[in-house]
Amino acid sequence: MVTNHQMPPVMLTLQIDSSIACVSPLGEAIQSLCLYATDSLECASQMQLAVVEAINNIVFHAYNNQAGNPITVKWNNQNRQLLIEITDFGDSMEEPPLPTLASFDAENGRGWWIINACVDEYHYKVVACEQQSTGQLPDKHQKNPKKANILTLIKKY
Amino acid sequence: MILQHRSHNDIDIVQLSGRFAMADCAEINLSIQGMINQGHGKLIIDMEKVTFIDSSGCAVLVAAYKSLQLKAGRLVLVTSPAVQSLIELTRLHTIFEILPSQVAALEVLEASVGE
Repeated sequence: MVTNHQMPPVMLTLQIDSSIACVSPLGEAIQSLCLYATDSLECASQMQLAVVEAINNIVFHAYNNQAGNPITVKWNNQNRQLLIEITDFGDSMEEPPLPTLASFDAENGRGWWIINACVDEYHYKVVACEQQSTGQLPDKHQKNPKKANILTLIKKY
Repeated sequence: MILQHRSHNDIDIVQLSGRFAMADCAEINLSIQGMINQGHGKLIIDMEKVTFIDSSGCAVLVAAYKSLQLKAGRLVLVTSPAVQSLIELTRLHTIFEILPSQVAALEVLEASVGE
């Protein structure tokens, strides 16, 4: 019998539309995958929270809250490490904001603080690409068709 | 996300259940701000049945806190483990008044009626 901790390396790819309504189902899926892999509710909850915050940022900032654009999430479990790679084709950042804590009365600006607290490492890069990976959406919906923004979240367990 | 609202001795009680995430936050914020505008300055937000909250949910709580401050009112939260965890992570437990149950929150606010 193979326990969860002995499971072989697994990679799964999920894709959602850049609609805020799609974020919760994706978050639940990430939580389930991470719980299956780690047997740790705390770890799974933290990964869900980090992914939800990251995708909220993509929907609102990279895609300016416009639906109809792809967000791809690659989930990878290997060597007791969860690695989640989130790709979008919206507006890029020069670099992620510093994970500073917003003042107590600020209503926004806590996302990167939360992401930073929930994972062991995160990396952001913008890469050139010939065509976005789905190839299913018409060109008019591609805000940034020759670049892909990739955020990688890593958590050991 | 399900929002239920009732009043007890001029205390507004909002009970939330399910996911308190960005998709629902605008609507929840509107409802809560409406209650604060029309209410008597005492509000309980009971999130004991909230299974997930993100930073946009925190923003709704902060907005409620600020609106009640302007009315010299009082906000009391009841949290689930998921909510408590995020509130502590974002250090908001230093400003929010958090009690372990809706009953405890009602007792505290009823004791302060007329203050």
